[in-house]
Amino acid sequence: MNQAATEMKAKISTPSDREIRIERVFNAPRERVWKALTDPALIAQWWGRGNKLVIERMEHQRGGHWRFVEHGPEGAQGFEGRYREVVAPERVVQTFQWDGMPGHVAVETMTLEDLGDGRTKLVAVSMFHTTEERDGMLHSGMDQGVHQSYAALDRVLAGLGAGGR
Amino acid sequence: MVQYQATLDRSFGALADPTRRAILLRLGRHADASITELAVVFEMTLTGLKKHVQVLEEAGLVATEKVGRVRHVRLGPRRLEDVTKWITSYRTMLEQRLDHLEDFLERTKGTP
Repeated sequence: MNQAATEMKAKISTPSDREIRIERVFNAPRERVWKALTDPALIAQWWGRGNKLVIERMEHQRGGHWRFVEHGPEGAQGFEGRYREVVAPERVVQTFQWDGMPGHVAVETMTLEDLGDGRTKLVAVSMFHTTEERDGMLHSGMDQGVHQSYAALDRVLAGLGAGGR
Repeated sequence: MVQYQATLDRSFGALADPTRRAILLRLGRHADASITELAVVFEMTLTGLKKHVQVLEEAGLVATEKVGRVRHVRLGPRRLEDVTKWITSYRTMLEQRLDHLEDFLERTKGTP
């Protein structure tokens, strides 16, 4: 795979067994990317992945709730979480839950870097937890199987980082 | 244990492709689907889709069954572990969203 092309498009890595880091470079200035990520009228135009998006709640400030619902051909799917940190125009930290996988939560940190040439680098780091863990009730230890599947997933993702997007 | 590792490697290999992850996601939400239905949904040729299903079937992630002239696909005996499924679903969705964000930014170029 052409390294330069990969560099342009996306980079994926797994800094730890509970983390995925995705980098994307957008051909747009940081203010525009920030607006697309934070203005409900603009979010509605892309966040739904081609599906109609209803923004039920979006309190875009520390501690605020958000809930977006995608209405696709297969029915409605809800996503929600809380904002932990909002620093315009460069950083949002939020939790992310999907109705389809109850009991699991990701903590997403999105950072926008102005590349100075009209392009913007978005770095999304997502940490995966169960809601029990998030609530402070940590398990005594993950079982062997989970450890092994993480290790295998890491290898796959490491391979993808070099080639895919 | 070695055998177990080999099976895991195969299933993660099967998961390395976004289309295959999307097929699993869809099968997770619906009981089953025919090859033809999946080909329509993913806008692929029957041959292309069959190849993906075959990789998933070899990894035990889906099972197929021929009923009359229609081949049905459903989630296989080796269900993804919960956490893995969560991370896979999440990643697929995030990448799709970022693709759409990119398209949106291209489409609205020149606006403030």
